Amino acid sequence: MSDQSPVDPRLQQPGASDESLLSAHEKELGRKPNDGGHYRLLPLVLLFVFSGLIFYAGTYLNHYSGRYNASIFNENAHPSGAKVAAAKIDPLVLGKRNYEQVCSTCHQLNGQGVAGIYPPLAGSEWAVGSPDRVIRILLHGLKGPLTVEGKEYGQAAMPAFGQVAGSGYNWNDDRIAAVLTYVRQEWGNKGEAITAEQVAAIHTKESSRKEWSQDELKALP
Amino acid sequence: MTTASNEVSEIDANARFPLSLLIASAILWLILSGVLAILNFAQNLSPSFLADCSWFTYGRLHAMQETAFIYGWVATAGFAVALWILGRLGGSPLRSLNWTVVGTIFWNLGVTIGLIGIALGDGTSISLLHLPDYVQPLLLVSFGAIAVTGVLAWTGRQHRATFAAQWYAVAALFLFPWLFSAAQAMLVWFPVRGTLQAVAAGWFLQGAWTLWIAPLALSAAYYLVPKISGRVIPAYDFASLSFWTLLVVGGWTGGRHLVGGPVPAWIATIAIVSCVMLTFHYAVTAINLRGAFGKSSISLKFIAYGVLAYVVGGFADAATAMRSVSEVTQFTWVSVAQTQLANSGAFTMIMFGAIYFLVPRIANQAWPSASLIRGHYIAALIGTTLLVGSLVVAGIVQGRDLANPATSFADLSAHVRPWLLAATASQALLVLGNIVFAIHFARVVVAKPTVTAENLFSQPPVMEASVS
Amino acid sequence: MRNGLIFFTGLFAAVLLSWAGIVLSSHAQLGKLTPYFDENEGKAFPLRPSGVAGQGQLVYDDLNCAVCHTQQVRRPDFGSDKARGWGDHQSVARDYIYDMRVQLGESRLGPDLANVGIRKTPYDSEDLLKLLYSGAGTMPPYKFLFEKRALAGRQPSDYAMKLRGDLAAPAGYEIVPTARAQALVAYLLSLNQAYEYPEARPVQPAAAKEGEHK
Repeated sequence: MSDQSPVDPRLQQPGASDESLLSAHEKELGRKPNDGGHYRLLPLVLLFVFSGLIFYAGTYLNHYSGRYNASIFNENAHPSGAKVAAAKIDPLVLGKRNYEQVCSTCHQLNGQGVAGIYPPLAGSEWAVGSPDRVIRILLHGLKGPLTVEGKEYGQAAMPAFGQVAGSGYNWNDDRIAAVLTYVRQEWGNKGEAITAEQVAAIHTKESSRKEWSQDELKALP
Repeated sequence: MTTASNEVSEIDANARFPLSLLIASAILWLILSGVLAILNFAQNLSPSFLADCSWFTYGRLHAMQETAFIYGWVATAGFAVALWILGRLGGSPLRSLNWTVVGTIFWNLGVTIGLIGIALGDGTSISLLHLPDYVQPLLLVSFGAIAVTGVLAWTGRQHRATFAAQWYAVAALFLFPWLFSAAQAMLVWFPVRGTLQAVAAGWFLQGAWTLWIAPLALSAAYYLVPKISGRVIPAYDFASLSFWTLLVVGGWTGGRHLVGGPVPAWIATIAIVSCVMLTFHYAVTAINLRGAFGKSSISLKFIAYGVLAYVVGGFADAATAMRSVSEVTQFTWVSVAQTQLANSGAFTMIMFGAIYFLVPRIANQAWPSASLIRGHYIAALIGTTLLVGSLVVAGIVQGRDLANPATSFADLSAHVRPWLLAATASQALLVLGNIVFAIHFARVVVAKPTVTAENLFSQPPVMEASVS
Repeated sequence: MRNGLIFFTGLFAAVLLSWAGIVLSSHAQLGKLTPYFDENEGKAFPLRPSGVAGQGQLVYDDLNCAVCHTQQVRRPDFGSDKARGWGDHQSVARDYIYDMRVQLGESRLGPDLANVGIRKTPYDSEDLLKLLYSGAGTMPPYKFLFEKRALAGRQPSDYAMKLRGDLAAPAGYEIVPTARAQALVAYLLSLNQAYEYPEARPVQPAAAKEGEHK
């Protein structure tokens, strides 16, 4: 066994002892970048490489991180200052859905109402008439005798739908505007659309009150 | 205590049984995982192969093969070499070796139960964490039992000075339990919500490579290159910077496989930047370990291949992380090729080099046959190169076919098929080489030593520093 | 690195830093994502999957289908995902908040499945069961998800597979999908990322608009 050549793969001989390996490398750590007045090339090269990598990293992060925003999934995007806009609400879609779920219980899907009890909306002069009146009806409700298209109604009161005291619905201004727009443009009605701002203005002005009566509404323009 | 005149001492004698147990386990797991990999590749070529048995359906077989390789071979081989290095450089016999033996037995038991569990359907679908939840804590505890020996060898070392090989080995042993337990908590026991699971899984996957597997390989390389060549590491003053770069930057590459994925873009951007920053570590490693190249020692031949694979893999990682490249190579065989380059190329070849060097020292016995060693080397060299090469080509072909919306999956698999055939053949060659290795190892450990340790090895020379 | 305490602290800090930086900060951003309520539709998205679909995801998980199939659509200008009909827009984090085990997938040996429930030529459960039983191309057959039952004179079950040719059951037998197969198919048919969240909308390249250097 002892006459194996140094490169015999069956028994590889050590090139150095462990102790000297440790101490030699410890001495290596004491080397300075300059030996005898001449700078060693390698530390300088590595320093430049490292700095170059940091520069690259910083530039790349700056461009493609999307400012670390949780909603940016495309690295080419930059977050704008504005909030992420929600999908635009289509008032007719929203209005129709709400009408069908809630209003049609009384006013029926075809807008005809129930004779003597619930006034119709199709062709109604109230529905396509003054926005001020119709917004108030929806916000605070309507009670007492009512004449629509020459016929008398008044047995049932219309509840308040707005965000007012005593309301069981608490619809926000967007939703009220949407439903009113739908009603004014459905079944052959040719009324103007109503905006949420109009509703908000009247809501602020009137705040909470009990149901309107026909006379009070007729007093409005 | 290793004095300047003796290559082996009671440090090696003391550790003989635990290290032999670990290496024997490692080699058996290597062969098992290799066989499972051949079966898995065969299923790519012939999908109905073994498909009627739910134990060996493609997905589960893939999980079993990966688990056997990483938790079987990588873990135990890494333990063996790390403990041996820490013992020798620590200067005194390893303590708590009974814990190491108990830990090894329970680790092997845990992996075995885990593999059966995966076959039965209890596995998770998380990459590198496929083990069923009931064995993961067992593995965590067993890891601790084995690792404690290594950590004690560092804290109780004889010399105040420490060497790069020790830093890497201790880092691997100390950091993996944190990675493993954090991943278990976030993914298995208290799963986090939605794609955060993917982020946590990516962090664990990259952390396992940069903070556990790569340090184990580098520890062995940093020890053996100066040890065998007799020369100091050339730019040793940068080794420390390179070490910390790997550890600090490595964990940030977690989002590497989430480019274009359902996570905020900054996660992938940080990962890409970190992969590029890591090229500094790979460059310094190449400079420091270039002493492995051009030598006639068989261990250094293995290690040279491993270092080359490691450095090339590192630069390839940075290149494929780029979004423009990722667009084509993501989700293809290229990622598999990169994993193979890292695990089979870098880690495995360096471990082979280390094992061929250390076994005579713990067994007091030379390897019986030089031609078996050289045969294993040729098989491993050709097999690994062919495997990685054919998978890279397969991946590029697949990537280009995926990018073209007109190409159907039937055409895609036809184009990729010849390359997968080559990959299967090279995997078979690797397994053949490893079987030869196993038989050879068995012969060494069962043979009775005929000469005493002192007469087996020559006097190790004293290493000179490059400046006095 | 002589001082052991500083060394171990440094090691721990290194891994803690990356964990905090990536995982913890992602948790702050994604960990408590809530569904998005759409005013127009009156529903919150993503829609909750049915219980059977949830069971199916566990089957998908233990068979490890994610090895060959991804479930993430990349944005239209990054790869051919949209052109292949896999999805119209990028998958975002909110699409996955109800998944117990998120199956983003490792590679594409088979098509992406994020929107397989709403393909242009839609699958129905019979198609998918047949696909699972027979396999197709490089997809293996999953016959162990089905049971071969002896008819013994009774009428065939409602759930029996209608197979022809070599795949058909031998005389006197029927092939019936197990509960796992049906759950898996229910899961696949529930995969639907059609809703376009605000964060998934296409982005105008900022450089073109702002004119800054790229």
